[in-house]
Amino acid sequence: MTSGFEPRIVAFCCNWCAYAGADLAGVSRFQYPSNIRIIRVMCSGRVEPSFILNAFDLGADGVLVAGCHKGDCHYLTGNDKAEGKIEQTRKLMDILGLEQERLRLEWISASEGLRFSEVMREFVEELKKRGPNPLKRKVVS
Amino acid sequence: MSNRSSIDGIIERSRAYNCVQCAKCSSVCPLSGVDESFSPRLIAEKILLGFDEILYEKGLWTCLTCGACDDKCPSDVDYRGFIRELRGKSRQREEVWKCAHGGVLQSLMRMMSDSALKQDRVGWITGDMKVADKGEILFFVGCLPYFDIIFEDFGVKSTDIAGSAVKIFNHLGVTPVVMQDERCCGHDLLWSGDTENFMRLAKNNLKQIKKTGAVKVVTSCPECYRTLKLDYAEYFGEQDFEVLHFSEYLSDSINRGELVFNEACRLNGRVTYQDPCRLGRHLGVYEQPRDVLGSIPGACLGELELNRDRAVCCGSSCWINCGQSSKEIQKRKLEEAKSIADLLVTACPKCQIHLKCAMGDLEGMDMDVVDLTVLAARALGYLV
Amino acid sequence: MNKEKKNEEKEELRIGVYVCDCGSNIAGVVDCAAVAREIEKLDDVVIVRENKYTCSDSGQEEIKKDIKKHKLNRVVVASCSPRLHEPTFRKCVESAGLNRYLFEMANIREHCSWVHPKNPTEATEKAKDLTKMAVAKARKLKPLPKIQSPVINEALVVGGGVAGIQAALDLADMGFKTYLVEKEPSIGGHMAALDKTFPTIDCSICILGPKMSDAGNHPNIELLTYSEIESVEGYIGNFKVKVRKKARYITDECNGCGECWKVCPVITKNEFDLGLGPRKAIYIPFPQAVPLKATIDMNACIECGLCEEVCEREGAIDFKQEDEIIELNVGTIIVATGFTDYDPSGEYGYGEYDNVLTGMDYERLINAAGPTLGNVTRKDGKKPKSIAWIQCVGSRNKDNTHCSNVCCMYAMKEAMQIKEKYPDTEVYIFYIDIRAFGKDFEEFYKRLMNKGVRFIRGVPAEIKETPEKNLKIVVENTILGRVCEYEVEMVVLSTGIMPNTDAQEMQRKLNISRTADGFFMEAHPKLRPVDTPTDGIYLAGCSQGPKDIPNSVSQAKGAAASAAIPMIRGVVEPDSTIASVDLDKCTNCALCAKYCPYNAIVHEKNKPLKIIEAACKGCGTCAAICPVGAMEQEGFTDAQLISEIEAVLEENPEEKILAFLCNWCSYAGADTAGISRFEYPPNVRIIKYMCSGRASARLVDKAFELNAGMVLVSGCHIGDCHYIDGNYSCEERMDKYRKTLEAKAIDPRRFHVEWFSAAEGGEFAEYMKELEDMRKKLQEEGKLTPWKKKAKKKP
Repeated sequence: MTSGFEPRIVAFCCNWCAYAGADLAGVSRFQYPSNIRIIRVMCSGRVEPSFILNAFDLGADGVLVAGCHKGDCHYLTGNDKAEGKIEQTRKLMDILGLEQERLRLEWISASEGLRFSEVMREFVEELKKRGPNPLKRKVVS
Repeated sequence: MSNRSSIDGIIERSRAYNCVQCAKCSSVCPLSGVDESFSPRLIAEKILLGFDEILYEKGLWTCLTCGACDDKCPSDVDYRGFIRELRGKSRQREEVWKCAHGGVLQSLMRMMSDSALKQDRVGWITGDMKVADKGEILFFVGCLPYFDIIFEDFGVKSTDIAGSAVKIFNHLGVTPVVMQDERCCGHDLLWSGDTENFMRLAKNNLKQIKKTGAVKVVTSCPECYRTLKLDYAEYFGEQDFEVLHFSEYLSDSINRGELVFNEACRLNGRVTYQDPCRLGRHLGVYEQPRDVLGSIPGACLGELELNRDRAVCCGSSCWINCGQSSKEIQKRKLEEAKSIADLLVTACPKCQIHLKCAMGDLEGMDMDVVDLTVLAARALGYLV
Repeated sequence: MNKEKKNEEKEELRIGVYVCDCGSNIAGVVDCAAVAREIEKLDDVVIVRENKYTCSDSGQEEIKKDIKKHKLNRVVVASCSPRLHEPTFRKCVESAGLNRYLFEMANIREHCSWVHPKNPTEATEKAKDLTKMAVAKARKLKPLPKIQSPVINEALVVGGGVAGIQAALDLADMGFKTYLVEKEPSIGGHMAALDKTFPTIDCSICILGPKMSDAGNHPNIELLTYSEIESVEGYIGNFKVKVRKKARYITDECNGCGECWKVCPVITKNEFDLGLGPRKAIYIPFPQAVPLKATIDMNACIECGLCEEVCEREGAIDFKQEDEIIELNVGTIIVATGFTDYDPSGEYGYGEYDNVLTGMDYERLINAAGPTLGNVTRKDGKKPKSIAWIQCVGSRNKDNTHCSNVCCMYAMKEAMQIKEKYPDTEVYIFYIDIRAFGKDFEEFYKRLMNKGVRFIRGVPAEIKETPEKNLKIVVENTILGRVCEYEVEMVVLSTGIMPNTDAQEMQRKLNISRTADGFFMEAHPKLRPVDTPTDGIYLAGCSQGPKDIPNSVSQAKGAAASAAIPMIRGVVEPDSTIASVDLDKCTNCALCAKYCPYNAIVHEKNKPLKIIEAACKGCGTCAAICPVGAMEQEGFTDAQLISEIEAVLEENPEEKILAFLCNWCSYAGADTAGISRFEYPPNVRIIKYMCSGRASARLVDKAFELNAGMVLVSGCHIGDCHYIDGNYSCEERMDKYRKTLEAKAIDPRRFHVEWFSAAEGGEFAEYMKELEDMRKKLQEEGKLTPWKKKAKKKP
């Protein structure tokens, strides 16, 4: 793929861990690519398959769902449910012909600012390799 | 009132101006029976008198478009067409409605309208099934592979219907075409007013069907059936392929003596049959599914009190606005079905999903539900 | 006829033209003086005058003086619509000694000044054209003789219900011999089967019975019961009617003593009781039957001969009797064939559920002379504690759009009867609208409400029977906006009034028309409600549309009076603009006879074609259809119409839209456009014919030969033709004609066929605008070129 390609990533981050982790990355000035747009949710369990699919439908090249580590969910088992929904979404993506790698589920705690920036960097690299989302319908350049 | 002229067009095309408010519609409407606030004639009256706030109300979206009212309307109003067009209007005004299942099905449908998509949707085809890329008979699968994933929890495996169909085709010596990259037929988007994406889906499918050289398109989904048969013709002109529901195909094969069910696979029990609205009232296919049931050894058919053109909808359509009313309709249906049968046969994958869902939600409503196609495959000795 | 023509051609033409200002109605837009100056230049025009009001006494006097002084032999008035003042001016010229058919009119008001107020120049040009056309036609006018034909002073009334009985009684009382034909064994019709009548609750048979026996005993009435119309031929004043007297196996010797049906062993269903009660194979349908004479139902009879044994009247029973055809010769006919009850079988469980009845069934049950002796009971013999009426069954729906008029009132009457008899009965009436429009109807409705009857606005789509044979009704009360459930012990369906089952057959036999609802069509919905478009045939009662008893009786009296008019006058004098045939040209192909809507052309092999003047109504269809030009319609001959076409297309033909309009609908529609001031382009030129049936390929060809920009052929809407079916034959012919345009290199977009009713002035104006837009477009495209006949001969 052309080196000029800059993937567009939508990240759903839970308020208590991942979002706070992103905040910490900022506070600590950990640099990461600017390709990401964060949408805050209270819990990763809030993320429904349709959110992810809509993001792809509207032209996202990658979607990240990030929540608290297993066992740390502020809503007891929200992240377990997120895991199930991501699994279901991946199966749907399989049939749709979208590469599973475009959807990432990560557990990032509030103290993992560095990890947040690393995950972002990795994800951008991965997507650069894979190239743009095949869906052309609503991609706005 | 700036948009009034297009509403006037809807009134004219659906002949809603004929309405004399006789209320025969609400006396047979399955929703009016469970939800006092819903009255088909009242929606018409409000639109006729310019109370356009109805476009912002839930009634427009809870209508099942099942057509029970159309059949009884003395004034020749095409009520389902009226609602379908008004929904398009309501969308234009960026009104939202409540998608069931978090809207995931609508997301999938919209994504499928993108021609750049390359699906991998034939994973349900196993080694013992013969399918082709080109041929005279095409089996239009519908969105069953997606249903398998979304409704896994209910214990529904919709692709069993497709598998059974292919096995029956093979049994009859037919190798059906199954399209690798078939798209949603567009039924649900069309009936929720999203004509634009419906058109995209339809064009894609028509292009693909043409390539296969099929002259007969058979589907096990009544909604695909209606859409391929009526709506594609309406939007894109008469097509040069014939569209059949699988029950029609089965019944034809039985009548020609080509298909004989296996006496060894006797089904000893009472069965009842749920008429899908699209198959029945929309297209008048009532007897073929019953003929098929009648030829299955040991199947003793008992009818629901309201059957054929008076059959009650399964309670939900287009994956929108499922709620208490839907549940109440489903509960009444299941109660009745349980009282007269051991097995409830449907001929629509969606009816099956909705009724299965209701069984999960309601106490003591469990009963066997099976699709007609699957039942037929079993009666031929296939293990499905 | 031929000789006359030649004589006329030699005659020196002296035309007087009168251009009317109509105050400022015309002169306010059209420069009438300029029109007059233009017309003065025309050949044969001896005098042209401009008047303020030509129709005034002084205007008419002037014409009369000029006819004498200047020896005028043609008069043209350019003023208003001939539909308004043609009769006035015809009388005027006639009184000055000129044949009334030597008068012609140009319509420069409704068709010109009123519709082009903003274009005075064009309007003046148009007025000149229209007047020139009238002058051109006037040159070709011929004097026409007055037609008179005698009227037989005997009448036929078809149908022996209350309307037919009343009409026959009135005619008979006026002294006319009247035949009353009824297909059932007794006269009386539906009314005889009713129990009480609304809103007075008086006994139906008590008020009808005396009329029935009056009709039976009247010296001027000949009853032909158990008889049907076989065929009708002829025309006003002289109809020949064949009537089939069905064999009733009883002769006039029968005195109705009733001994025979006492002994008859065969029991079958009595149709009069709608099958709810029994009768014998030999029977009278009901005790008050007129004539009181038995009938043997041969389908049921086992020919045991018991009746013959007990009968004391020698020869009263005749098993060998056969159907008999009798021929009547009458001057006028009244059609009072009534209606058929709507059959609701399959709806609301009628025929399947025990306790669902129709209104008529209920009438028989509550009738003291009915099968239950007046007891309203269920099939199981129980007296119902609750009864529901469901309104509009078989009326006001997509198949039968009409309101049956009487069901609201009869349901309320039936409800009132049960409330009076058993006040404890719960009564519901499920309705869409209550139509209580007649005298004392609304008051009756109020009285019933006071009896505790529950009126529920909303009707169910279906009902269910419970195991107790009760009926369960689920319905939305639309006023409460709530779906409610009711259980009642009996349901009465307020079934509607349908055209009689033999309406189509009767229509064909009588050569009359039916409206879209299937009922017979009146000549004019407001001003001629008892006449049919066929002279001499009149309508009464429900055969023309649903109505109650007082309305049926009123219409019957109206029909009787109308039918009496020609019989009293003894002669009819129709318009002379009727068909004529040039036997030198006629090839006896009989196409005209086939298409004549009135059977006015008699064609017999090896005999010259004959036109029955009294039957011809002057539509001109024959003239249009004749392949050799032997048929002509006087007043609208080819020569006359072509002279108009030539006059109007003399200058700038491609700029003009030529419209052929029929007198009754489209020409009247153009008049309406004028009266309503609906403006349209001023380059429209109208030629009138009586009926679009007169439109022929010859006329349109002439227009294209002379390069008319656009041609419109127009008539009444299909189904509304004043000459029964002239527009059908026009449509058929013009469809064929359209296919010839390609070969003539005429762009088919220049030729149009469209229908307008007399009321559609706005539609007419809009359509003219569309035509003009199209004409301009075609002109820009260079498509407006004439048809060159000789092009065909080129290799």
